[in-house]
Amino acid sequence: MTRRLKLGAQLVALACVAGLLALLVWSVVHQQHAPSVGSVAPAFTLRRLEGPGKVSLASYRGKPVVLNFWASWCDPCKSEAAVLQRDWSSYRSRGVVFLGVDYHDLDSDARRFVSAHALTFPMLADGSGNVTSRYGISQVPETYVLNRQGRVVAHLRGPLTDPGFAGEFRSAIAKAVD
Amino acid sequence: MLRLAAVVTAALVFAAPAAACTHPRTSLNYLQGQVMCPTCHTTLDMSDSQAAQQIKGFIAKKIAACWTAKQIESALVANYGQQILATPSHKGFDLLAWWLPIAGVLAGALVLAFGVWRWSRRKEPEEPDDPAGSGLDEEDERRLDDVLARFE
Repeated sequence: MTRRLKLGAQLVALACVAGLLALLVWSVVHQQHAPSVGSVAPAFTLRRLEGPGKVSLASYRGKPVVLNFWASWCDPCKSEAAVLQRDWSSYRSRGVVFLGVDYHDLDSDARRFVSAHALTFPMLADGSGNVTSRYGISQVPETYVLNRQGRVVAHLRGPLTDPGFAGEFRSAIAKAVD
Repeated sequence: MLRLAAVVTAALVFAAPAAACTHPRTSLNYLQGQVMCPTCHTTLDMSDSQAAQQIKGFIAKKIAACWTAKQIESALVANYGQQILATPSHKGFDLLAWWLPIAGVLAGALVLAFGVWRWSRRKEPEEPDDPAGSGLDEEDERRLDDVLARFE
């Protein structure tokens, strides 16, 4: 009886350790990494920040997409907003789609931000940050440029107002349009 | 008629501040411990990030508008998802987070109690009947007596 009990307890302990190990392995395997250049951008569907309805990235397949991650509480996003709006105005005629993804933000504050900066390209809300984490975003703003096949052409970590990024952004869009 | 309209307008203007909450139904201190900062993954009271500041501002406004803690938490969950709360909900799969620790503690207590019970039972029969005795069995004692008798 005692031996059986001891064996049972040991099996339970082993099962617990095996379970914890499995959890560790699962979390390491499923860690979110930023999609690398050339890989297909993670698919997503997010609700519109303004107005009803949802938007999926797949619906833009066949068009170059600029995916900008931002938040109203982010200071560099404020200075970047004007650059994005200007670029959107100049590139939209060439079929380039700009999508803003507002993350970890209050909808009301985000809408005020959009209105204050007169941003006219579509804005999506990712309050939970689930989509953003799949893009490996650690701090906003960050921008991805995707080609017509939905593959990553460039990933710019930081505001587009950074001196080095202006040229890189333009050449990425040129690549994405080709 | 004009006078009446003026009185109604004035009443409306002054009624708005008067409608502000005079008896708040929750506190910022309490909610700061219940709500997570989404970017730093700590509770709000442990974070000073911009995202945390924004949520603290939101909570302060809603407290001033007499919202309850539950109403504020619901609004935050609608915006950020369930993970904005520091504690899991009391329904569905989240219930496991509440019951598993309790079950673990109970199981541990049971194992401990069983171990103590067995240990105390094993100890009892091992106690010598005669504490002053030599600890030898009858046969050995008889032999020892024989040996000692030879030296007398």
